Amino acid sequence: MPSPQPNFFQRNALNLARLGMLAAFLIVWEVASNRFDAAFWVSSPTAIVDALKRWYEEGNLVADTRATLLEAGTGFVIGSLAGALLGFFLGWIRRLGDLLEPFVLAIYTLPKVALAPLFVLWFGIGLLNKVMFSALLVFFMVFFTTFQGARQVDQEVVTNARLLGAGRFQIWQKIALPFAAVWVFTGLRIGLPYALIGAIVGEFVAANTGVGYRIKEATAFFDTASVFAGLVVLMAISSTFLAILKLVERRALRWQSTDQAATAIATEAKAN
Amino acid sequence: MSAPAAIHAAARAPAAQGASDRGILFDGVGVTFGSLTVMGPVTLEVRPGEFLVVIGPSGCGKSTLLNLVAGTLRPTIGTVHYHGKLVSGPNSDVGYITQKNYCLPWRTVEENVKLPLEFRGYSRRDMDERAARVIRQVGLAGFEKHFPKQLSGGMLQRVMIARTLAYEPATYLMDEPFASLDAMLRMRMHHDLMALWQATGATFMFVTHDLHEAITLADRVVVMSGRPGKIKLVQEIDLPRPRNIVDAQSDPRFSAYFRTLWQALDAH
Repeated sequence: MPSPQPNFFQRNALNLARLGMLAAFLIVWEVASNRFDAAFWVSSPTAIVDALKRWYEEGNLVADTRATLLEAGTGFVIGSLAGALLGFFLGWIRRLGDLLEPFVLAIYTLPKVALAPLFVLWFGIGLLNKVMFSALLVFFMVFFTTFQGARQVDQEVVTNARLLGAGRFQIWQKIALPFAAVWVFTGLRIGLPYALIGAIVGEFVAANTGVGYRIKEATAFFDTASVFAGLVVLMAISSTFLAILKLVERRALRWQSTDQAATAIATEAKAN
Repeated sequence: MSAPAAIHAAARAPAAQGASDRGILFDGVGVTFGSLTVMGPVTLEVRPGEFLVVIGPSGCGKSTLLNLVAGTLRPTIGTVHYHGKLVSGPNSDVGYITQKNYCLPWRTVEENVKLPLEFRGYSRRDMDERAARVIRQVGLAGFEKHFPKQLSGGMLQRVMIARTLAYEPATYLMDEPFASLDAMLRMRMHHDLMALWQATGATFMFVTHDLHEAITLADRVVVMSGRPGKIKLVQEIDLPRPRNIVDAQSDPRFSAYFRTLWQALDAH
Protein backbone atom coordinates (compact mmCIF):
# COMPACT_ATOMS: atom_id res chain seq x y z
CA MET A 1 0.00 0.00 0.00
CA PRO A 2 1.42 3.43 -0.93
CA SER A 3 2.05 5.74 2.01
CA PRO A 4 -0.31 8.75 2.05
CA GLN A 5 2.56 11.20 2.56
CA PRO A 6 4.99 10.87 -0.38
CA ASN A 7 8.59 10.82 0.85
CA PHE A 8 11.41 13.03 -0.41
CA PHE A 9 12.27 10.77 -3.35
CA GLN A 10 8.68 10.41 -4.50
CA ARG A 11 8.09 14.14 -4.39
CA ASN A 12 11.21 14.97 -6.37
CA ALA A 13 11.27 11.96 -8.69
CA LEU A 14 11.29 14.05 -11.86
CA ASN A 15 14.07 16.40 -10.74
CA LEU A 16 16.15 13.52 -9.39
CA ALA A 17 15.83 11.73 -12.72
CA ARG A 18 16.98 14.89 -14.49
CA LEU A 19 19.93 15.26 -12.14
CA GLY A 20 20.86 11.63 -12.74
CA MET A 21 20.78 12.10 -16.50
CA LEU A 22 22.96 15.18 -16.27
CA ALA A 23 25.50 13.39 -14.09
CA ALA A 24 25.59 10.41 -16.46
CA PHE A 25 26.08 12.71 -19.42
CA LEU A 26 28.98 14.54 -17.75
CA ILE A 27 30.66 11.28 -16.77
CA VAL A 28 30.33 9.82 -20.28
CA TRP A 29 31.67 13.08 -21.71
CA GLU A 30 34.67 13.06 -19.38
CA VAL A 31 35.49 9.39 -19.91
CA ALA A 32 34.95 9.41 -23.67
CA SER A 33 36.98 12.55 -24.09
CA ASN A 34 39.99 10.93 -22.37
CA ARG A 35 39.48 7.47 -23.84
CA PHE A 36 39.29 8.64 -27.47
CA ASP A 37 41.72 11.53 -26.99
CA ALA A 38 39.09 13.95 -28.31
CA ALA A 39 39.70 16.81 -25.87
CA PHE A 40 40.83 19.03 -28.73
CA TRP A 41 37.36 18.80 -30.31
CA VAL A 42 34.93 18.46 -27.44
CA SER A 43 37.05 19.36 -24.41
CA SER A 44 35.92 17.71 -21.15
CA PRO A 45 33.95 18.76 -18.07
CA THR A 46 37.02 18.98 -15.83
CA ALA A 47 38.92 21.00 -18.42
CA ILE A 48 35.94 23.36 -18.71
CA VAL A 49 35.83 23.85 -14.95
CA ASP A 50 39.56 24.60 -15.04
CA ALA A 51 39.05 27.10 -17.85
CA LEU A 52 36.28 28.78 -15.88
CA LYS A 53 38.54 28.99 -12.84
CA ARG A 54 41.37 30.46 -14.91
CA TRP A 55 38.96 32.92 -16.53
CA TYR A 56 37.82 34.02 -13.09
CA GLU A 57 41.33 34.28 -11.66
CA GLU A 58 42.48 36.43 -14.57
CA GLY A 59 39.73 38.82 -13.48
CA ASN A 60 37.94 38.74 -16.81
CA LEU A 61 34.97 36.49 -16.05
CA VAL A 62 33.10 39.08 -14.04
CA ALA A 63 33.94 41.92 -16.43
CA ASP A 64 33.00 39.90 -19.53
CA THR A 65 29.77 38.65 -18.01
CA ARG A 66 28.88 42.13 -16.87
CA ALA A 67 29.50 43.55 -20.35
CA THR A 68 27.38 40.92 -22.07
CA LEU A 69 24.62 41.21 -19.47
CA LEU A 70 24.55 44.97 -19.84
CA GLU A 71 24.38 44.79 -23.63
CA ALA A 72 21.71 42.11 -23.73
CA GLY A 73 19.71 43.56 -20.84
CA THR A 74 19.62 47.12 -22.15
CA GLY A 75 18.92 45.86 -25.65
CA PHE A 76 16.09 43.70 -24.35
CA VAL A 77 14.44 46.57 -22.50
CA ILE A 78 14.73 49.03 -25.40
CA GLY A 79 13.71 46.46 -28.00
CA SER A 80 10.70 45.15 -26.13
CA LEU A 81 9.40 48.59 -25.17
CA ALA A 82 9.62 49.83 -28.74
CA GLY A 83 8.26 46.57 -30.15
CA ALA A 84 5.31 46.38 -27.77
CA LEU A 85 4.29 50.01 -28.26
CA LEU A 86 4.62 50.09 -32.02
CA GLY A 87 3.14 46.62 -32.43
CA PHE A 88 0.12 47.59 -30.39
CA PHE A 89 -0.52 50.83 -32.24
CA LEU A 90 -0.13 49.38 -35.71
CA GLY A 91 -2.15 46.32 -34.78
CA TRP A 92 -4.97 48.22 -33.14
CA ILE A 93 -5.26 50.99 -35.73
CA ARG A 94 -6.35 48.54 -38.36
CA ARG A 95 -6.04 50.74 -41.40
CA LEU A 96 -2.52 51.84 -40.57
CA GLY A 97 -1.58 48.22 -39.96
CA ASP A 98 -3.01 47.17 -43.32
CA LEU A 99 -1.08 49.96 -45.02
CA LEU A 100 2.27 49.06 -43.48
CA GLU A 101 1.98 45.28 -43.30
CA PRO A 102 3.92 44.43 -46.50
CA PHE A 103 6.82 46.66 -45.49
CA VAL A 104 6.91 45.22 -42.01
CA LEU A 105 6.90 41.70 -43.48
CA ALA A 106 9.71 42.56 -45.89
CA ILE A 107 11.91 43.76 -43.05
CA TYR A 108 10.92 40.80 -40.91
CA THR A 109 12.07 38.24 -43.47
CA LEU A 110 15.47 39.91 -43.74
CA PRO A 111 18.11 37.87 -41.84
CA LYS A 112 18.89 40.55 -39.29
CA VAL A 113 22.31 39.15 -38.48
CA ALA A 114 23.35 40.48 -41.88
CA LEU A 115 22.88 43.97 -40.47
CA ALA A 116 25.62 43.51 -37.88
CA PRO A 117 28.43 45.03 -40.00
CA LEU A 118 26.22 47.99 -40.84
CA PHE A 119 25.62 48.56 -37.14
CA VAL A 120 29.38 48.77 -36.60
CA LEU A 121 29.41 51.57 -39.14
CA TRP A 122 26.51 53.35 -37.49
CA PHE A 123 27.19 52.82 -33.81
CA GLY A 124 30.92 52.11 -33.64
CA ILE A 125 32.56 49.14 -31.95
CA GLY A 126 31.67 50.02 -28.35
CA LEU A 127 28.79 49.11 -26.07
CA LEU A 128 26.21 51.06 -28.06
CA ASN A 129 26.63 48.89 -31.12
CA LYS A 130 25.78 45.69 -29.22
CA VAL A 131 22.92 47.30 -27.34
CA MET A 132 21.34 48.54 -30.55
CA PHE A 133 21.83 45.27 -32.35
CA SER A 134 20.36 43.30 -29.49
CA ALA A 135 17.45 45.78 -29.30
CA LEU A 136 16.81 45.37 -33.02
CA LEU A 137 16.48 41.59 -32.80
CA VAL A 138 14.24 41.76 -29.75
CA PHE A 139 12.18 44.53 -31.29
CA PHE A 140 11.13 42.39 -34.21
CA MET A 141 10.12 39.44 -32.09
CA VAL A 142 8.04 41.52 -29.69
CA PHE A 143 6.70 43.78 -32.40
CA PHE A 144 5.42 40.90 -34.47
CA THR A 145 3.64 38.97 -31.78
CA THR A 146 2.08 42.15 -30.37
CA PHE A 147 1.08 43.32 -33.84
CA GLN A 148 -0.66 40.02 -34.58
CA GLY A 149 -2.18 39.94 -31.11
CA ALA A 150 -3.62 43.43 -31.23
CA ARG A 151 -5.21 42.64 -34.59
CA GLN A 152 -6.96 39.69 -33.02
CA VAL A 153 -8.85 41.62 -30.37
CA ASP A 154 -12.34 40.15 -30.61
CA GLN A 155 -14.50 42.76 -32.32
CA GLU A 156 -17.63 41.26 -30.78
CA VAL A 157 -16.21 41.90 -27.32
CA VAL A 158 -15.49 45.47 -28.35
CA THR A 159 -19.05 45.94 -29.62
CA ASN A 160 -20.38 44.43 -26.42
CA ALA A 161 -18.27 46.87 -24.41
CA ARG A 162 -19.77 49.77 -26.32
CA LEU A 163 -23.25 48.55 -25.38
CA LEU A 164 -22.04 48.43 -21.78
CA GLY A 165 -21.25 52.13 -22.14
CA ALA A 166 -17.54 52.17 -23.01
CA GLY A 167 -16.01 55.16 -24.74
CA ARG A 168 -13.16 54.92 -27.21
CA PHE A 169 -10.45 55.46 -24.61
CA GLN A 170 -12.01 52.99 -22.18
CA ILE A 171 -12.03 50.30 -24.85
CA TRP A 172 -8.31 50.86 -25.27
CA GLN A 173 -7.60 50.93 -21.63
CA LYS A 174 -9.80 48.13 -20.36
CA ILE A 175 -10.11 45.78 -23.35
CA ALA A 176 -7.41 46.19 -25.98
CA LEU A 177 -4.38 46.76 -23.75
CA PRO A 178 -4.98 43.86 -21.36
CA PHE A 179 -5.80 41.65 -24.31
CA ALA A 180 -2.54 42.56 -26.00
CA ALA A 181 -0.60 41.96 -22.78
CA VAL A 182 -0.80 38.20 -23.32
CA TRP A 183 0.82 38.62 -26.70
CA VAL A 184 3.43 41.01 -25.41
CA PHE A 185 4.51 38.35 -22.94
CA THR A 186 4.65 35.74 -25.67
CA GLY A 187 6.82 38.15 -27.65
CA LEU A 188 9.06 38.76 -24.66
CA ARG A 189 9.56 35.05 -24.16
CA ILE A 190 10.47 34.56 -27.81
CA GLY A 191 12.56 37.73 -27.86
CA LEU A 192 14.61 37.01 -24.76
CA PRO A 193 17.15 34.62 -26.35
CA TYR A 194 17.51 37.09 -29.20
CA ALA A 195 18.75 39.71 -26.77
CA LEU A 196 21.71 37.44 -26.06
CA ILE A 197 22.15 36.52 -29.71
CA GLY A 198 22.33 40.20 -30.55
CA ALA A 199 24.93 40.89 -27.91
CA ILE A 200 27.05 37.86 -28.84
CA VAL A 201 26.94 38.47 -32.58
CA GLY A 202 27.84 42.09 -31.91
CA GLU A 203 30.82 40.92 -29.88
CA PHE A 204 31.86 38.49 -32.60
CA VAL A 205 31.91 41.25 -35.16
CA ALA A 206 33.85 43.82 -33.20
CA ALA A 207 34.64 44.02 -29.49
CA ASN A 208 37.34 43.93 -26.86
CA THR A 209 35.29 42.57 -24.00
CA GLY A 210 32.30 40.32 -23.36
CA VAL A 211 31.57 36.59 -23.33
CA GLY A 212 31.20 36.49 -27.12
CA TYR A 213 34.55 38.19 -27.56
CA ARG A 214 36.15 35.64 -25.19
CA ILE A 215 34.67 32.73 -27.17
CA LYS A 216 35.97 34.13 -30.43
CA GLU A 217 39.39 34.74 -28.96
CA ALA A 218 39.60 31.26 -27.47
CA THR A 219 38.63 29.73 -30.82
CA ALA A 220 41.47 31.59 -32.47
CA PHE A 221 43.88 29.90 -30.03
CA PHE A 222 42.18 26.48 -30.43
CA ASP A 223 41.37 26.67 -26.71
CA THR A 224 38.26 24.45 -26.83
CA ALA A 225 37.83 24.32 -23.04
CA SER A 226 37.53 28.11 -22.88
CA VAL A 227 35.02 28.11 -25.73
CA PHE A 228 32.88 25.66 -23.78
CA ALA A 229 33.36 27.72 -20.64
CA GLY A 230 31.90 30.68 -22.53
CA LEU A 231 28.94 28.57 -23.62
CA VAL A 232 28.32 27.49 -20.03
CA VAL A 233 28.24 31.12 -18.91
CA LEU A 234 25.82 31.99 -21.71
CA MET A 235 23.57 29.12 -20.76
CA ALA A 236 23.53 30.29 -17.16
CA ILE A 237 22.68 33.85 -18.21
CA SER A 238 19.80 32.88 -20.49
CA SER A 239 18.35 30.40 -17.98
CA THR A 240 18.35 33.08 -15.30
CA PHE A 241 16.68 35.57 -17.64
CA LEU A 242 13.98 33.09 -18.56
CA ALA A 243 13.30 32.16 -14.95
CA ILE A 244 12.82 35.83 -14.04
CA LEU A 245 10.52 36.38 -17.00
CA LYS A 246 8.42 33.35 -16.12
CA LEU A 247 8.04 34.62 -12.58
CA VAL A 248 6.85 38.02 -13.78
CA GLU A 249 4.54 36.43 -16.32
CA ARG A 250 2.96 34.13 -13.80
CA ARG A 251 2.07 37.10 -11.64
CA ALA A 252 0.82 39.28 -14.49
CA LEU A 253 -1.21 36.58 -16.22
CA ARG A 254 -2.55 34.93 -13.10
CA TRP A 255 -6.00 34.66 -14.69
CA GLN A 256 -4.76 32.23 -17.31
CA SER A 257 -4.12 29.43 -14.87
CA THR A 258 -6.72 26.72 -14.89
CA ASP A 259 -5.55 25.03 -11.73
CA GLN A 260 -8.61 25.94 -9.72
CA ALA A 261 -11.29 25.36 -12.36
CA ALA A 262 -12.18 21.90 -11.17
CA THR A 263 -12.25 23.02 -7.55
CA ALA A 264 -14.64 25.86 -8.35
CA ILE A 265 -17.15 23.62 -10.07
CA ALA A 266 -16.90 21.06 -7.30
CA THR A 267 -17.48 23.81 -4.72
CA GLU A 268 -20.58 24.92 -6.54
CA ALA A 269 -21.94 21.42 -6.84
CA LYS A 270 -21.58 21.13 -3.08
CA ALA A 271 -23.18 24.53 -2.44
CA ASN A 272 -26.26 23.68 -4.49
CA MET B 1 -32.92 37.49 -7.63
CA SER B 2 -34.28 37.29 -4.15
CA ALA B 3 -35.00 40.92 -3.44
CA PRO B 4 -35.42 42.68 -6.75
CA ALA B 5 -37.88 45.19 -5.33
CA ALA B 6 -35.07 46.66 -3.31
CA ILE B 7 -32.94 47.20 -6.40
CA HIS B 8 -35.30 49.18 -8.50
CA ALA B 9 -37.14 51.93 -6.76
CA ALA B 10 -39.53 52.42 -9.64
CA ALA B 11 -42.69 50.43 -9.06
CA ARG B 12 -44.19 48.82 -12.11
CA ALA B 13 -46.98 50.84 -13.67
CA PRO B 14 -49.30 49.15 -16.14
CA ALA B 15 -47.73 49.15 -19.61
CA ALA B 16 -48.76 52.48 -21.07
CA GLN B 17 -50.16 52.34 -24.55
CA GLY B 18 -49.03 54.50 -27.43
CA ALA B 19 -46.32 56.39 -25.56
CA SER B 20 -43.93 55.91 -28.45
CA ASP B 21 -41.36 58.32 -27.03
CA ARG B 22 -40.62 55.64 -24.45
CA GLY B 23 -41.20 52.63 -26.64
CA ILE B 24 -39.36 50.97 -29.49
CA LEU B 25 -40.66 51.42 -33.00
CA PHE B 26 -39.76 49.28 -36.01
CA ASP B 27 -41.00 51.03 -39.12
CA GLY B 28 -40.89 48.98 -42.32
CA VAL B 29 -37.57 47.47 -41.33
CA GLY B 30 -35.83 44.97 -43.58
CA VAL B 31 -32.35 43.46 -43.46
CA THR B 32 -30.53 42.08 -46.47
CA PHE B 33 -27.07 40.53 -46.58
CA GLY B 34 -25.96 40.61 -50.21
CA SER B 35 -28.71 38.85 -52.11
CA LEU B 36 -30.11 37.16 -49.00
CA THR B 37 -33.11 38.83 -47.42
CA VAL B 38 -32.99 37.80 -43.79
CA MET B 39 -35.90 39.75 -42.45
CA GLY B 40 -38.70 42.09 -43.26
CA PRO B 41 -40.28 44.31 -43.90
CA VAL B 42 -41.39 44.40 -40.26
CA THR B 43 -43.45 47.07 -38.56
CA LEU B 44 -43.87 46.67 -34.83
CA GLU B 45 -44.21 48.82 -31.76
CA VAL B 46 -42.82 47.58 -28.48
CA ARG B 47 -44.77 49.26 -25.70
CA PRO B 48 -42.84 50.82 -22.85
CA GLY B 49 -42.58 48.42 -19.95
CA GLU B 50 -44.02 45.42 -21.69
CA PHE B 51 -42.60 41.93 -21.81
CA LEU B 52 -42.49 41.06 -25.49
CA VAL B 53 -41.42 37.61 -26.59
CA VAL B 54 -40.40 36.85 -30.17
CA ILE B 55 -40.63 33.28 -31.41
CA GLY B 56 -40.07 31.74 -34.81
CA PRO B 57 -38.07 29.10 -36.66
CA SER B 58 -34.28 29.25 -36.74
CA GLY B 59 -32.82 31.85 -39.07
CA CYS B 60 -35.99 33.95 -39.25
CA GLY B 61 -34.33 37.10 -37.97
CA LYS B 62 -35.43 37.00 -34.34
CA SER B 63 -31.97 37.96 -33.16
CA THR B 64 -31.79 40.49 -35.98
CA LEU B 65 -34.64 42.41 -34.33
CA LEU B 66 -32.62 42.67 -31.12
CA ASN B 67 -29.43 43.66 -32.96
CA LEU B 68 -31.33 46.49 -34.60
CA VAL B 69 -32.45 47.85 -31.23
CA ALA B 70 -28.92 47.45 -29.83
CA GLY B 71 -27.61 49.33 -32.84
CA THR B 72 -25.05 46.68 -33.68
CA LEU B 73 -26.76 46.17 -37.03
CA ARG B 74 -28.20 48.76 -39.41
CA PRO B 75 -31.43 48.07 -41.27
CA THR B 76 -31.18 47.88 -45.05
CA ILE B 77 -34.57 49.56 -45.34
CA GLY B 78 -36.80 51.27 -42.81
CA THR B 79 -35.97 52.79 -39.44
CA VAL B 80 -35.78 51.79 -35.78
CA HIS B 81 -36.60 54.38 -33.14
CA TYR B 82 -35.70 53.84 -29.53
CA HIS B 83 -37.41 56.14 -27.03
CA GLY B 84 -38.21 58.47 -29.89
CA LYS B 85 -34.61 58.62 -31.20
CA LEU B 86 -33.34 57.01 -34.37
CA VAL B 87 -30.96 54.17 -33.58
CA SER B 88 -27.76 54.82 -35.52
CA GLY B 89 -24.99 53.25 -33.44
CA PRO B 90 -24.40 51.07 -30.38
CA ASN B 91 -27.23 51.81 -27.96
CA SER B 92 -25.93 51.84 -24.40
CA ASP B 93 -29.44 52.30 -22.96
CA VAL B 94 -30.09 48.61 -23.44
CA GLY B 95 -28.81 45.55 -21.67
CA TYR B 96 -28.13 42.80 -24.17
CA ILE B 97 -27.87 39.23 -22.96
CA THR B 98 -27.14 36.44 -25.42
CA GLN B 99 -25.86 32.91 -25.07
CA LYS B 100 -22.39 34.16 -25.85
CA ASN B 101 -20.03 34.81 -23.05
CA TYR B 102 -18.35 38.19 -23.24
CA CYS B 103 -16.53 37.88 -19.93
CA LEU B 104 -13.05 39.34 -19.98
CA PRO B 105 -10.82 36.41 -19.03
CA TRP B 106 -8.35 38.54 -17.09
CA ARG B 107 -11.01 39.92 -14.78
CA THR B 108 -12.57 38.10 -11.86
CA VAL B 109 -16.33 37.61 -11.64
CA GLU B 110 -16.62 40.70 -9.50
CA GLU B 111 -14.46 42.79 -11.82
CA ASN B 112 -16.42 41.63 -14.85
CA VAL B 113 -19.67 42.66 -13.19
CA LYS B 114 -18.20 46.05 -12.40
CA LEU B 115 -17.08 46.66 -15.98
CA PRO B 116 -20.19 48.55 -17.16
CA LEU B 117 -20.19 50.49 -13.89
CA GLU B 118 -16.60 51.56 -14.52
CA PHE B 119 -17.54 52.62 -18.03
CA ARG B 120 -20.40 54.62 -16.64
CA GLY B 121 -18.34 56.33 -13.97
CA TYR B 122 -19.97 54.97 -10.82
CA SER B 123 -18.25 55.66 -7.52
CA ARG B 124 -16.18 52.88 -5.98
CA ARG B 125 -18.63 52.41 -3.12
CA ASP B 126 -21.57 52.26 -5.46
CA MET B 127 -19.79 49.68 -7.60
CA ASP B 128 -18.92 47.46 -4.64
CA GLU B 129 -22.45 47.59 -3.36
CA ARG B 130 -24.14 46.91 -6.68
CA ALA B 131 -21.74 44.15 -7.66
CA ALA B 132 -22.22 42.34 -4.36
CA ARG B 133 -25.99 42.60 -4.72
CA VAL B 134 -26.35 41.34 -8.28
CA ILE B 135 -23.82 38.56 -7.76
CA ARG B 136 -25.93 37.37 -4.86
CA GLN B 137 -29.05 37.64 -7.01
CA VAL B 138 -27.77 35.29 -9.67
CA GLY B 139 -26.51 32.85 -7.05
CA LEU B 140 -22.79 33.38 -7.51
CA ALA B 141 -22.01 34.56 -3.99
CA GLY B 142 -18.65 33.08 -2.98
CA PHE B 143 -17.33 33.18 -6.54
CA GLU B 144 -16.50 36.90 -6.63
CA LYS B 145 -12.75 36.31 -6.88
CA HIS B 146 -12.90 33.50 -9.42
CA PHE B 147 -11.70 33.96 -12.96
CA PRO B 148 -13.95 32.99 -15.91
CA LYS B 149 -11.66 30.03 -16.72
CA GLN B 150 -12.63 28.57 -13.38
CA LEU B 151 -16.38 28.65 -13.98
CA SER B 152 -18.83 26.38 -15.78
CA GLY B 153 -20.91 27.51 -18.75
CA GLY B 154 -24.03 28.07 -16.69
CA MET B 155 -22.10 30.13 -14.17
CA LEU B 156 -20.61 32.29 -16.93
CA GLN B 157 -24.11 32.90 -18.25
CA ARG B 158 -25.13 34.10 -14.83
CA VAL B 159 -22.12 36.45 -14.75
CA MET B 160 -23.40 37.95 -18.00
CA ILE B 161 -26.84 38.42 -16.45
CA ALA B 162 -25.42 39.95 -13.29
CA ARG B 163 -23.32 42.34 -15.33
CA THR B 164 -26.44 43.59 -17.10
CA LEU B 165 -28.51 43.84 -13.94
CA ALA B 166 -25.78 45.92 -12.33
CA TYR B 167 -26.41 49.02 -14.44
CA GLU B 168 -30.21 48.73 -14.53
CA PRO B 169 -30.79 49.33 -18.24
CA ALA B 170 -34.16 50.71 -19.34
CA THR B 171 -34.56 47.87 -21.82
CA TYR B 172 -33.41 44.28 -21.62
CA LEU B 173 -32.75 42.47 -24.89
CA MET B 174 -32.49 38.76 -24.26
CA ASP B 175 -31.56 36.26 -26.94
CA GLU B 176 -32.26 32.76 -25.65
CA PRO B 177 -30.41 33.62 -22.48
CA PHE B 178 -31.30 30.45 -20.65
CA ALA B 179 -30.66 27.98 -23.46
CA SER B 180 -27.44 26.73 -21.85
CA LEU B 181 -28.93 26.28 -18.39
CA ASP B 182 -30.37 23.05 -17.07
CA ALA B 183 -34.15 22.72 -16.66
CA MET B 184 -34.17 23.36 -12.91
CA LEU B 185 -32.05 26.47 -13.07
CA ARG B 186 -34.02 27.65 -16.06
CA MET B 187 -37.26 27.56 -14.10
CA ARG B 188 -35.64 29.43 -11.28
CA MET B 189 -34.38 32.04 -13.72
CA HIS B 190 -37.90 32.38 -15.17
CA HIS B 191 -39.23 32.99 -11.72
CA ASP B 192 -36.54 35.54 -10.93
CA LEU B 193 -37.00 37.22 -14.29
CA MET B 194 -40.70 37.70 -13.61
CA ALA B 195 -39.86 39.22 -10.25
CA LEU B 196 -37.29 41.52 -11.88
CA TRP B 197 -39.73 42.61 -14.55
CA GLN B 198 -42.38 43.20 -11.93
CA ALA B 199 -40.08 45.34 -9.83
CA THR B 200 -38.63 47.50 -12.59
CA GLY B 201 -40.21 49.71 -15.18
CA ALA B 202 -37.99 48.09 -17.78
CA THR B 203 -39.07 46.88 -21.20
CA PHE B 204 -38.12 43.35 -22.17
CA MET B 205 -37.62 41.90 -25.65
CA PHE B 206 -37.03 38.21 -25.28
CA VAL B 207 -36.19 35.82 -28.10
CA THR B 208 -36.77 32.09 -27.76
CA HIS B 209 -38.00 29.12 -29.68
CA ASP B 210 -39.50 27.52 -26.63
CA LEU B 211 -43.28 28.00 -26.63
CA HIS B 212 -43.66 27.26 -22.92
CA GLU B 213 -41.07 29.86 -22.07
CA ALA B 214 -42.80 32.36 -24.37
CA ILE B 215 -46.28 32.02 -22.87
CA THR B 216 -45.00 31.85 -19.31
CA LEU B 217 -43.18 35.15 -19.57
CA ALA B 218 -44.92 37.31 -22.15
CA ASP B 219 -47.41 40.14 -22.28
CA ARG B 220 -47.39 39.67 -26.02
CA VAL B 221 -45.88 37.01 -28.24
CA VAL B 222 -44.75 37.89 -31.75
CA VAL B 223 -44.63 34.89 -34.10
CA MET B 224 -42.27 35.24 -37.02
CA SER B 225 -42.27 33.27 -40.27
CA GLY B 226 -39.29 31.51 -41.80
CA ARG B 227 -36.79 33.47 -43.89
CA PRO B 228 -37.34 36.20 -44.85
CA GLY B 229 -38.74 36.73 -41.36
CA LYS B 230 -42.02 38.59 -41.22
CA ILE B 231 -44.57 38.96 -38.46
CA LYS B 232 -47.24 36.29 -38.75
CA LEU B 233 -49.13 36.82 -35.56
CA VAL B 234 -49.07 39.07 -32.53
CA GLN B 235 -50.78 37.33 -29.61
CA GLU B 236 -51.69 39.09 -26.36
CA ILE B 237 -51.14 36.75 -23.42
CA ASP B 238 -53.89 37.53 -20.94
CA LEU B 239 -52.69 35.61 -17.91
CA PRO B 240 -52.83 37.23 -14.49
CA ARG B 241 -49.97 39.43 -13.22
CA PRO B 242 -48.00 39.15 -11.07
CA ARG B 243 -47.56 35.81 -12.68
CA ASN B 244 -46.57 32.66 -10.88
CA ILE B 245 -44.81 30.45 -13.41
CA VAL B 246 -46.35 27.26 -12.05
CA ASP B 247 -49.90 28.56 -11.83
CA ALA B 248 -49.62 30.11 -15.28
CA GLN B 249 -48.90 26.75 -16.86
CA SER B 250 -51.96 25.14 -15.29
CA ASP B 251 -54.28 27.92 -16.44
CA PRO B 252 -56.70 26.60 -19.13
CA ARG B 253 -55.88 29.62 -21.30
CA PHE B 254 -52.25 28.51 -21.35
CA SER B 255 -52.99 25.49 -23.52
CA ALA B 256 -55.27 27.54 -25.74
CA TYR B 257 -52.42 30.00 -26.34
CA PHE B 258 -50.09 27.11 -26.89
CA ARG B 259 -52.34 25.72 -29.62
CA THR B 260 -52.77 29.11 -31.32
CA LEU B 261 -49.06 29.81 -31.35
CA TRP B 262 -48.18 26.31 -32.43
CA GLN B 263 -50.53 26.57 -35.38
CA ALA B 264 -49.11 29.94 -36.34
CA LEU B 265 -45.59 28.51 -36.22
CA ASP B 266 -46.51 25.35 -38.08
CA ALA B 267 -48.52 26.83 -40.96
CA HIS B 268 -46.26 27.76 -43.87
